[in-house]
Amino acid sequence: MASKEATVYIVDQGASTGECHNGRVESDLDYGMRYIWDKIAETMMANRVTAGVGVIGLRTDETENELAETDAEAYSNICVQKPLGPMEMAHLRDLQKRIKTSSTDHGDAISAIVVAIQLIEKFTTLKSGKPGKYARKIVLLTDGQGTIEDDDIEPIVERINELGIGLVVVGVDFDDAEFGFIEDDKSALKAKNEKLLKKLTEKCSKGVFGTAAEAIADLSVPRVKPYRPYSTYKGKLSLGDFRSYPETAMLIDVERFFRIKVAKPVSASSFVTRSSATDGAASGQSSHTLRGDTEMTDAPSSVGDLVPVRSATTYKVDDPAAPGGKKDVEREELAKGYEYGRTAVHISESDENITKLETFSSFEIVGFIPNDKYQKFLNLGESRITIAQKTNEKAAMALSSFIHALHELDSYAVARIVTKDGKDPQMLLLAPSIEPDMEALIDVPLPFAEDVRVYRFPPLDRVITTSGAILTKHRNLPSDELVHAMSDYVDSMDLSEFGRDEDDLPTEYMPIEDTYSPIVHRINQAIRRRAVQPDEAIPPPPEILTRYSAPPPELVSEAAPKLEKLVAAASVKKVPPKVKGKRGRREVIKPLSGLDIESLLGREKRRKLSPTNAIPEFKQMLETASDVAVLHDAASQMAGIIHELIKTSLGDQWYAQALENLSVLRDQMIEFEEPDTYNAIIRDLKAKLLRDELGAGRRELWFQIVRDRKLGLIDSETAEASTVKQEEAADFYSMKLEPAE
Amino acid sequence: MSDEHIKTEDDQEEEEYDELDYIAQKDAVLFAIDVSKSMLTPPPPSDEKKADTDSPTVAALKCAYHIMQQRIISNPRDMMGVLLFGTEESKSQRDDGNQRGGLAYPHCYLLNDLDIPAVEDVKILREVIEDGDEAKKLLVPSQEPVAMSNLLFCANQIFTTKAPNFGSRRLFIITDNDDPHAGDKNAKSQAAVRAKDLYDLGVVIELFPVSRPDQKFDRAKFYDDIIYRDPNEGEEPALVPTTLTSSGGDGIPLLNSLISDINSKQVLKRALFSNLPFEIGPGFRISVKGYNIIQKQEPARSSYIYLDGERAQIVAGETTKIADDTAQTVEKAEVKKAYKFAGDTVFFTPEEQKELKNFGPPILRIIGFKPQSMLPDWASVKKSTFIYPSEEDYVGSTRVFAALWQKLLKDKKMGVAWHIPRRNASPSLVAILPSTETIDEQTGGQVIPQGLWLYPLPFADDIRQAPDCPTPVVAPDNLVDAMRKVVQQLQLPKATYDPRKYPNPSLQWHYKILQAIALEEELPETPEDKTIPRYRQINKRAGEYVHRWGVILDEKARAFETERKGAGIKRERNDEDDGGPKKKARPAHSAQSLDGMSITDLRAAIAAGNLQKFVVADLKEWLNSRGLSSSGKKADLVERIEQWVENA
Repeated sequence: MASKEATVYIVDQGASTGECHNGRVESDLDYGMRYIWDKIAETMMANRVTAGVGVIGLRTDETENELAETDAEAYSNICVQKPLGPMEMAHLRDLQKRIKTSSTDHGDAISAIVVAIQLIEKFTTLKSGKPGKYARKIVLLTDGQGTIEDDDIEPIVERINELGIGLVVVGVDFDDAEFGFIEDDKSALKAKNEKLLKKLTEKCSKGVFGTAAEAIADLSVPRVKPYRPYSTYKGKLSLGDFRSYPETAMLIDVERFFRIKVAKPVSASSFVTRSSATDGAASGQSSHTLRGDTEMTDAPSSVGDLVPVRSATTYKVDDPAAPGGKKDVEREELAKGYEYGRTAVHISESDENITKLETFSSFEIVGFIPNDKYQKFLNLGESRITIAQKTNEKAAMALSSFIHALHELDSYAVARIVTKDGKDPQMLLLAPSIEPDMEALIDVPLPFAEDVRVYRFPPLDRVITTSGAILTKHRNLPSDELVHAMSDYVDSMDLSEFGRDEDDLPTEYMPIEDTYSPIVHRINQAIRRRAVQPDEAIPPPPEILTRYSAPPPELVSEAAPKLEKLVAAASVKKVPPKVKGKRGRREVIKPLSGLDIESLLGREKRRKLSPTNAIPEFKQMLETASDVAVLHDAASQMAGIIHELIKTSLGDQWYAQALENLSVLRDQMIEFEEPDTYNAIIRDLKAKLLRDELGAGRRELWFQIVRDRKLGLIDSETAEASTVKQEEAADFYSMKLEPAE
Repeated sequence: MSDEHIKTEDDQEEEEYDELDYIAQKDAVLFAIDVSKSMLTPPPPSDEKKADTDSPTVAALKCAYHIMQQRIISNPRDMMGVLLFGTEESKSQRDDGNQRGGLAYPHCYLLNDLDIPAVEDVKILREVIEDGDEAKKLLVPSQEPVAMSNLLFCANQIFTTKAPNFGSRRLFIITDNDDPHAGDKNAKSQAAVRAKDLYDLGVVIELFPVSRPDQKFDRAKFYDDIIYRDPNEGEEPALVPTTLTSSGGDGIPLLNSLISDINSKQVLKRALFSNLPFEIGPGFRISVKGYNIIQKQEPARSSYIYLDGERAQIVAGETTKIADDTAQTVEKAEVKKAYKFAGDTVFFTPEEQKELKNFGPPILRIIGFKPQSMLPDWASVKKSTFIYPSEEDYVGSTRVFAALWQKLLKDKKMGVAWHIPRRNASPSLVAILPSTETIDEQTGGQVIPQGLWLYPLPFADDIRQAPDCPTPVVAPDNLVDAMRKVVQQLQLPKATYDPRKYPNPSLQWHYKILQAIALEEELPETPEDKTIPRYRQINKRAGEYVHRWGVILDEKARAFETERKGAGIKRERNDEDDGGPKKKARPAHSAQSLDGMSITDLRAAIAAGNLQKFVVADLKEWLNSRGLSSSGKKADLVERIEQWVENA
């Protein structure tokens, strides 16, 4: 939540932190910093100015802090590496240079804490002299190898608690029995320091003491971003019409909030590399400047050699007189309206709301249904929660009776809500929710008549033959054996008691609270890491994000015998990947009656394609082709028809048909293993279009071929016989003409 | 912020992607309606009140009229056309300056060319249906029989020229003639060849046979030679083929059964994802397809319209990406994505971007099973997807799927699964819920099919913190008892929520007005809104119980308050030993908020001039809660309330 923050990180940079311990290849400092960098990056990622971050180096070669000016002895070798304040990228880069192992072991951790307290106190005191409302925190990262004076500890603890500062001590290889880490060959000094620091955190009211390994492991546990409650409706929940029936209507003052709101991954902004001034000509038509309205989709400023991308919209109308049949118009020339089918229905500004249903804010009960009669897959969206308005106890009591009545009757209510005047009505399902500290109604949106589409599917418990007979035994219906095997398997994979709670008692496995959005956290984590380590490859997703991508292995091995039985009873056969190419493997397609159309067609074997019935005849010619020459002939006839369509097209009149012919040609050439026949045709077509050989102004068509239909070269990935590599096929989509063409 | 529908750019991207496949497959339907003597004969007269008086041809035309209006709303990008065959008059596609469409198709009359319907198309159909003269002129059967091969080639040309790139193209034939070329083998063969052309073109023929009163429609005579089964359907079990009857008095009118039958076929089964591997256990897979059965339908957004041309036209905006500094257009491939980070940006290469979103190939993988009761009411994120087995990749998928469906249904269990619907789609966790078949009682058509549903589960990140609220005031038992009676009185019909009973009032109103403006009809005065509660019924059935509940509530709430006040006073005494003046408890009545007042209370308050005593905030809230304006000075507010009470 967006309260102000002041966090100071104290990083022990003593010479000893350059060593590597416990089998690690990175220094103790780098190891511990993994935790600190991630924490700092997390703060930066929130993009909040109110989150202050400061960093103090301990056991540094230099001394740089205000307190040292009066007491150089006690505060030596402590360096404020970054004063408390907003954390920007430049600071991060600077810090990365500064946080390096020093060549000294001098410097006192407790003194550094005092410096941190002073920084925080100064930063969080308002102009009025009163302390501001801040979340204050000090994080100390140390390897415990420095000398610590503990004479004056009491007043320091007192000050920390007075200011409400949280003190977190993270020690590299500190003992933590609970986490399961004990360092055996610990030096006496480190053991003493650990004890001392642990005592210190225990004395602080908000103290935490932990080992670095645990802190680092915790980093992969996603942090769920908290939000303030968001109210979507405040008003009456009613039953009956109190205007017409004031004595028999129910009215309860309620307020409705978000219960579920889908968390989205952070969105990226679009940029392009700044173009060197003169490369417009090469990229063909992309060099002309567009008129029309421009609006920023996102508004970051240029960064380095990157320029933000914005959207520009142009408006075109049909105009037979204009070249290409279209002309540009300004947005100001346009009126507003709606489409009714193909017809444009103009609605003048004064009538703007004429098609809008007039509604008034309301939340009304329509009726009730038993909850076993509702099928949850009808839920149309996110859930909300409704409680009685605060401080209105009568409303709370009234709502309570409503909630309990629903609960006791195992019922749901159906309601209609208009969240604000003029908003569209929505049907809701209301479910009672009774918790010790809260009674509420949970609601989910219900579909309207138009939201449920009618698709007819054959039943799963019987088979109906074409003649209308009903079968209960069929290869598509499970045998009794399969039904039993499935039942046993499902029971053996039960998760309702497979999890373990804190007391190691059986509990639900994979409760919603333990599942984290893989995409949201994967991206967050990668951004943080990239900010800190720009040269590192992106890390794989942490285990916690993919934990529920497969059943738990222990359960799988327990259920293995049941699965084996199920597999046997099911006897499912994988269909081998389609044998590529149709040549020599003719599949005869017949109508329902099984009539042999080919024999009817055979009498007049196709030799010539007619432009009006090109696709069917082309396919039929290929099907009955006796040799490759016929395939080539058919393809080149088709190409001729496509050229003709383009040449005679008035504007884009025949483009769609030409494209469809081209697409059929491409598909068939892939199937008949003649990719290079198509490739030659499409190369030729590209050249003709770009050289205006099929009429002027046909370049637009190339865009359609490329952008909309993806009808370029067939590469060797798509058809083995092709001599075109994938990169070549990709390059082919540009507006450039290859020298050979 | 605007209410619940806050959408970011990214949001839309994701959503559009989600529906991409679904919308991309545009549908073109051509109705071919038989005009013959028997098709023009109305059913035998009947005494029934709602007797069917339409001839099959007229019923088919009415059906087309109805479907056209419906599709304008539900499938605004799809095409439709109406072709009559067997008519004396002939009319083919308009001459478009090119003779390619100029072939003559005798006794085929193209009433509406295949296109996205325009207002004119709606008008044309309406005229034929409503205007007797128009119908008399047009609906004249030809003397000689129409060659079916001609009809089929006519349809072929219409699809070829008007809807070449439509993913779905269908010809609906409505006829009562099961053997149009009896005895003429040559004509039959020609029709079969033309039908094969249509098949190769990718056009699917759907037959809507009408049985004559004296004779059952026999598909084997002719139509089995021209109809192909969709090869993608493989050998899936078939649905019962329906035959419609023009029955007259008894049974459902032909029009209704036609509409219902066409409706069930009209939205093609467009798969949201195809042949997704469904891993029931490690190494044990079947394949399934996903369908969007539940889909929120919104009114179309307003568009820009150009009025200066010959006729008003919709203007398509073309959006181009341009670089901020040079205003040059930017190719998609040149665009790089970066994340904002502490005033700077963090970059990933396109390959890295892709890798970040990659959680493996598409899959639906069972993690295990739980009782359905473990799915909390609040765990609702978005619509569910229907899945149905497919034999294409794994033979035997259907029986395994059916066995799983049976088990889940019988033991009220659900599967939980990891789900990646398409390549590079974000993974989600879903519950797998079974559905039983629901049948429309009137038409016998299927409403909800048997199958499984992928019900998206929320992640911990999606759960919003509960609003702060004081310790609940738990209602006393007798108050709950009183409310229980109310609940029992007001069950919805058949004890279910049936979406079909609740058309979306905003959507309906939007199109009703548009249609009226477009057809230059008079604007309807009041919207029909079936979602509004039935106040009269509620009053009649439960009014008495609600009243009783209200009385108990008043009493209990007062008691509660007194008790709490008492406790408060005690505390006060403990705190203040000096026994100073007690705070005077406010009388119960004035504690009543303006909102809590009944009409009678309000009248009394107005009469006594007490309304002035309420603060402006209260007055405004009262007005707001009734949808009245809350602007103006206090005097205005009071006057507005008085006015309302007077009219109430």
